[in-house]
Parts: sequence; structure tokens; C-alpha cells
Amino acid sequence: MSNLGFALAGAWKVLAAGLVLGAGLPVVFALGIRALAFGAGGDAEVNGSRPHRIGTIMAYGLFVIVVLGVLLGLTFIVASGFGKAISFEHLYPTVIDK
Amino acid sequence: MILALVVVTALGFDFTNGFHDTANAMATSIATRALRPKTAVALSGILNLIGAFLSVEVALTVSNAVVRIQNPDGTPKESLTADGGTALLLIVLAGLIGGIVWNLFTWLLGLPSSSSHALFGGLVGATIAGLGWAGVNWNGNGSKLDGVVGKVILPALISPVIAGVVAAVGTWLIYKLTVGVAQRFTENGFRWGQIGSASLVSLAHGTNDAQKTMGVITLALIAAGDWTDTGNIPFWVKASCAVAIALGTYLGGWRIIRTLGKGLVEIAPPQGMAAESSSAAVILASSHLGFALSTTHVATGSILGSGVGKPGAQVRWRVAGRMVAAWLITLPAAAVVGALMWYLGSFVGGVAGAVVIFALLLVLAGAMWLRSRVTPVDHNNVNDEWDGEQPADEPRVPAGTGAA
Repeated sequence: MSNLGFALAGAWKVLAAGLVLGAGLPVVFALGIRALAFGAGGDAEVNGSRPHRIGTIMAYGLFVIVVLGVLLGLTFIVASGFGKAISFEHLYPTVIDK
Repeated sequence: MILALVVVTALGFDFTNGFHDTANAMATSIATRALRPKTAVALSGILNLIGAFLSVEVALTVSNAVVRIQNPDGTPKESLTADGGTALLLIVLAGLIGGIVWNLFTWLLGLPSSSSHALFGGLVGATIAGLGWAGVNWNGNGSKLDGVVGKVILPALISPVIAGVVAAVGTWLIYKLTVGVAQRFTENGFRWGQIGSASLVSLAHGTNDAQKTMGVITLALIAAGDWTDTGNIPFWVKASCAVAIALGTYLGGWRIIRTLGKGLVEIAPPQGMAAESSSAAVILASSHLGFALSTTHVATGSILGSGVGKPGAQVRWRVAGRMVAAWLITLPAAAVVGALMWYLGSFVGGVAGAVVIFALLLVLAGAMWLRSRVTPVDHNNVNDEWDGEQPADEPRVPAGTGAA
């Protein structure tokens, strides 16, 4: 296979991972912000509705997902620094030797 | 003597690499005032320092991707190590000078060009001059993504597009999802998200880029016979590279930060968060898949994408066009400088030749620094309006103040 073939084969994987993690996590974060505003009520929202406790709880749930994503990124940086890789074959990430 | 010059020059390159790339991680946070300029560069510098120490793996074969001056196990080719390694050291020295000169020149113009392209370009030029065209690994051997085409040119074409698409999709969705939430509420929240994602980019930069210089210095030490272990890097090399890249980052390439943060698009915190998350995800995903790319290209693509994705945002395509032009000529231009330095060095010959080209580097660097003082850009005016209007008196609200 030529260089171009290898590059394109890698490119769509990077695009897919980028969309899931690079656009997906910010979207979850945005939902969290939205839920937080819903929870705070008053002038946090344009329509100035009453506070909703459930919004605050949902918001922190969503932020936890984002934090987990960031931790995955950190694990990857540290692991590759030590010559390890992360495997996704068990669905959840595990650190393995390269 | 030549070895000492190579080490000093390599650390100099590492330093320019740091200040050239501060913008990649921190330009958006500075532009949206999520962080004060000085705080941003300090944070980025510290994370680069930590990142550089985290890279335990040896990047000794970094130059193998583009030039043939090493065996596959990382030891220098025997033909180049006769005579105390002078032949190899001169190639490396000329290549590093090519990289530094180009990095400083693009910094003077405020253009975010890729430091790894500058380094590879310099090495390719010096190798062509020293060993001829066959000394360059143009296309790899067909078994994997390799060579100048596979490791440098193709990723440079593809990665900004991927990062741009991801950032555009992210930005568009974020704006759709936060319709109806008060602006003071979103601004503060996204500033925090932005700082987090920008920090990841800085850390990843430290692990990747400092490693390249460590590899080059260790290669020079082996060539000169001062080090033999291809599986480890001397600790002083690691420490000095880490400190050089961190200091460079802390000094901050304010000209480039200004172009990326203010020149391309007016960045609001939600866009900044989308852009940095896209950069972080694309950089980490590519390095997971063994796909070499330049942090600079990814960051620029992301910021452009965040402008495309925000409804009604203005993108200054002329500025983007100048950047792309700079990317295209980075490799050949650094190669020309590297080649000229090699010819000059080998014309004068031996230690004297190395001293002459090193002195020339100092003169060129000094001249460019003096030129930069004519229109200084620093942490005070980095956020001024791009089109020359004075900024409105907008109070600066770093994240963490006010309700979040």
C-alpha cells in the first residue's frame, strides 16, 4: 500500500475519534452548562424561570462524564510517555505494553 | 568542540520550539480572557516541563523518518562517525540552524508555522548538501506511513482539515444547545472548559516535542563517542531539554499568539473550548494511531473550524491564506538554510566551519530580535483589536471570578 493509502486509512479513524471525543465531550459539557442554568433558574436563563433542583444534579452528572474523558486523555499521555499504550479491546480502556 | 555547539544549538532550537508553540495551546484562552496572558504562558510552561519529564520512552530514531543518517537501532551510520563523528555533527548542526532561523523568521512575521517541519526541513537540507538526494528518506519503504511524504507532507495536508471539521461541528452544536442560557452563565462555564482542554494540549506538546530534541542531542553524543546506550537518554539531556522548552513556552511567542487568538477569528469562550477540545482529541487520537502530525497545524485548523461553526462569525481568510503559504514553504525554506549552512561549514572545514555557522546563527537571530523590537508585541498589547481600532473598555474577567 502506498503512503497515501496509509494516510487515508488513518485519517478517517482520527476523524471518528476526534468527533466522538473532541466534539462529543464539549457537547456533553454544553448540556451540563445548560442543565446548571436550568437548576439555578432566575437570571441564569433568558426566560428567567424558577430554579429546578434536578437540573443541578443532572449538570454534575454530565460534568463527571467530561472529567472521565479528560482523565482518559491524561492516562494516554502518561502511558505513552512510559512506552505503554491504551487498548480498547475490552470496551473499557486498559493500559498495555506497546 | 563541535559537539558542544550542537548541544547548545539543539537546546536553542528546543527553546524556539517552546515559544513558537505556546500559541497552539494558549492563544484561545488568552484571547477570550479566560486566563491573564502571563498566567496562561506560566501554566503552559509548567505543563510542558512536566510533559517533557513524563516522556521516558527514547525518541532516538526521530530523524529516521526523513533522513538516512542512522541505523534502524538508532546508532549513527558508521560511514559518518569516522573522524570523531564530525561529518554527522556538521549535518545535525546545519540542520538545527536551518530550523531555528526559519522558526525565528516566521515568529517575526507572526505566523504559526510548524516547529517539527522546520527541524525536519533543516535536517533534509543539510543531508542533501552533505550526502546527496539519496540520503533523504522520501517515501519510506512502502510497509508503513514513512518518509518525508508520509510523515510530514500528508499529515500536514490532512490534519488541519480533520481538526477544523471537528471544531466546527463542536462549535455549532454548543451554540445550538446553549440557546436561551444567559450569556454571563455560558461565558464563565466555557472559560473553565477551555482552560482544561488547553492544559491537555500543553501537556501533550511537552511529551512530544521535547522528545525530538532529546533524540537529536543523544544522537550527537553517540556520534561523538560520548554515549553508547541507545536505550536511554542521559539525565542532563532530558533535564536541560525540559527546561529549555518550558522557558521558551513561558517567554511566549506573543506575535504568534496574537495572530492565532485575534487574527483568524474573534474567539468567544464556547468557540475556544470547542477548538482546544478538538485539538486535544485529534492530537491524542493521532498519536495513539501512530499518525505523526504537527500541533501547530491542528491548532490552527481547530481555530478556523470554530469560526466556521459559529453562526454569523467572521473568518479572516486572508490571514489563513498567509498561514497556509507559510506551512507550504516551511520545509523547503528550512531545507535551503540547512543546506547553505552545511556548504559554508564544510567549505571552511572542521571545527572552524562549525564555529563560523554557529556565529552566523547568532548574528541572524540577533538581527531578527532587533527587528522585532520595532513593532513589539507582548503581553500588554496581545489582545488589541486586529484591525487597528482601540479595544472597547471591556472588563477582564478571568475564570473563577463571579458565579459559575
